[in-house]
Amino acid sequence: MAKPDTQLPRFQVFLQEKTGQPHQDVGSVHASDPEMALLNARDVFVRRPECTSLWVVLADAIFSKTAQELEEQELGDKGLGDEGVKEESGEVENYYIFYKPKPTGTQTLVGEVPAAAPVEALRLALERFSGDKPPSAWWILPARRVLVSSPDDIESMFAPAQDKKFRLSTDFHTLTEMRRVKSEFGGQ
Amino acid sequence: MNSSLRHALSQHLLALADDELILGHRDSQWCGMAPLLEEDIAFANLALDEIGHALVWYTLLADLAGEDHYIYPDRLVYFRQIADFRNVQLVELPNGDWAFSMLRQYLFDTYETVYLAAAVGSAHQPLAEAAAKIRLEEIYHYRHTSAWVRRLGLGSVESQRRLQAALDKIWPYTGQLFALSPGDEFLVSAGYLPPSTILSSTWKDQVVPFLLDCGLQVPVESGDEDTQTGRFHPPLSRERHTPHLKVLLRELQSVPRLEPQAVW
Amino acid sequence: MFEKTAESVQEESSEAEKLRLFEARIARGEKIEPGDWMPAEYRRQLIRMISQHAHSEIVGMLPEGAWITRAPSLRRKMILLAKVQDEAGHGQYLYHAAETLGISREEMLAALLEGRAKYASVFNYPTLTWADVGVIGYLVDFAAILNQTMLARCSYGPYARAMVRICAEENFHKKQGQDIVIHLASGTSSQKAMVQDSINRWWWPTLMMFGPHDGESPNTPVLVGWGIKTRTNDELRQSFVNQIVPELHSLGLSLPDPSLHYNKATGDWIIGEIDWDEFWRVINGHGPCNQERMEARRRAHEEGAWVREALSAYNG
Repeated sequence: MAKPDTQLPRFQVFLQEKTGQPHQDVGSVHASDPEMALLNARDVFVRRPECTSLWVVLADAIFSKTAQELEEQELGDKGLGDEGVKEESGEVENYYIFYKPKPTGTQTLVGEVPAAAPVEALRLALERFSGDKPPSAWWILPARRVLVSSPDDIESMFAPAQDKKFRLSTDFHTLTEMRRVKSEFGGQ
Repeated sequence: MNSSLRHALSQHLLALADDELILGHRDSQWCGMAPLLEEDIAFANLALDEIGHALVWYTLLADLAGEDHYIYPDRLVYFRQIADFRNVQLVELPNGDWAFSMLRQYLFDTYETVYLAAAVGSAHQPLAEAAAKIRLEEIYHYRHTSAWVRRLGLGSVESQRRLQAALDKIWPYTGQLFALSPGDEFLVSAGYLPPSTILSSTWKDQVVPFLLDCGLQVPVESGDEDTQTGRFHPPLSRERHTPHLKVLLRELQSVPRLEPQAVW
Repeated sequence: MFEKTAESVQEESSEAEKLRLFEARIARGEKIEPGDWMPAEYRRQLIRMISQHAHSEIVGMLPEGAWITRAPSLRRKMILLAKVQDEAGHGQYLYHAAETLGISREEMLAALLEGRAKYASVFNYPTLTWADVGVIGYLVDFAAILNQTMLARCSYGPYARAMVRICAEENFHKKQGQDIVIHLASGTSSQKAMVQDSINRWWWPTLMMFGPHDGESPNTPVLVGWGIKTRTNDELRQSFVNQIVPELHSLGLSLPDPSLHYNKATGDWIIGEIDWDEFWRVINGHGPCNQERMEARRRAHEEGAWVREALSAYNG
């Protein structure tokens, strides 16, 4: 049975610039599976240095809620359920918690919680990570759906970008060159 | 270093560099034409790496010849004639379809990883250092192209058919990767190069099971070269090229040849 | 019936209320994020703009990509490969930003390949010489930088953020182009002739990139009102001209515009009249390369179908 021609599923990509810093949402790639998504993410998002780790997860596996949605409805079994996220294993597993502190800015990793379902993970996250100013939006990711790059990958996947300095505009000395040419032509 | 060794080394470096240059050229021809936007980026990246590797090897050649780092590599690339190129024919073949290009890249990438893994132990320090650096990028190339070959082999009936057709066409050209060039014996005895028989068997041990796992039939080797009816065996010497290289070089070398003394 | 009327009145005023709150947010300089309420027209305009922008990056790969194989030095070859890779990446970021508004990449690509979507008209001109690669980087990418720097202040969050990322990378594009132009302009006499010829062919198409005159731009008032655009077409065009003309003159290059003159009072370089017939002809699909570019993309897409199917089958 032939499948329709698509651009393939979307995977959200998270990048960690330096060890110790939190992973942040940088965008998405279209790919057939997590491994291809990880490789493509590296080509799309790590063209210039500053990456020590890359994560990809099927966009559909992300359970997301905005602060506005949380205000309007109770976080319970009805209303704010796991619509669209079919994760009902019922077993306790790890969830990564991302949030956006302000409306502008990007989803940033704040921690992990064990839970039996995304809704429960969000409930725990609200208790633990809200702080004084509640964040404007949350993304909850089941850890088992996330493909992470290995530290061993740094050498072959991320470090080579360091050498390609010609990609940086600082490698071009156009100001100096313009001055040189001006003096040769006597200016106008 | 005596002159026979030096000559053998420079021919070897030329072979390494020319392989990367021509393959990089083929890779860059996919630009804007890939099946998915992400693959346009991936292939451009592959091409970029290959050209970068070519530059590394040409630069080593410049050092060996006592020539300028910035001028000599381009001189070699843009002003040599076909007869002086030392790449294998495998990389000259036109891109064909996606299956053909991916399989060709995979087979070459595997050869490179095997070669480079051995070359990091070369007794010639500059070669060992260059190999160590290039190897890191090749590990990534291998990961990408092997993932593709697997998906095409085990994907659909059509993709497997195309991949098998590609393998049937390309396989006879792989022998040339491990063929001995004149002077190689000096390089091996000086410890500059590993013996090619080791490279060849390591490569086969990796490639054959992988291709079988991908649902492909690997062509059977015969002992004899030219006597098999209907079986095509390309020449083993790196001094021989297909008609494709002439067309390729005409394009590649066109601009500087308009004005050889100009700086671009 | 009385209840229904009350309901619909309530609905209407709640829509009007939502619009008022939305516009107040824009006036306060707040960013609109995916999931926030927005008027249908705002969404429509953004989808149009962002997808057009994405298409331009993708189609723009073709004229330059054609010169990778003919780049006249290894270094230039690598630089051009990096640039084209960036452009594909930018298209990527932009498709992603548009996806946050509820349109799929399949829909956007279908619109492009079926000729229903527009993209920057400048990419409908052929790249005839190596000098064109330099001039595209120097002029076209510089024009893009001015436009994108303005859009980085756009009210829609994902688009603004994509612009910031793109601007950072675009600077390298302009500089590598400028570097090529400088080398050619100060090179041999045939190199100088090559780059002058290139400027003669790309000058007007680049100026047209900024769009119609303000008076004839139907979308501008709405876009400015909702913080999608913060400067007008003519303002950006003038900014571009003022910066680039003196630089080109100092390289010994001239512009193909007999009316071009400097206005001491305003400090502006005044250009001649743009051929708007040509602009509309090209943007509506009748430029020198529209057909060719679209056929190339269509062919690539069709020939890639079995690959995408294979990938789906591998997982399915």
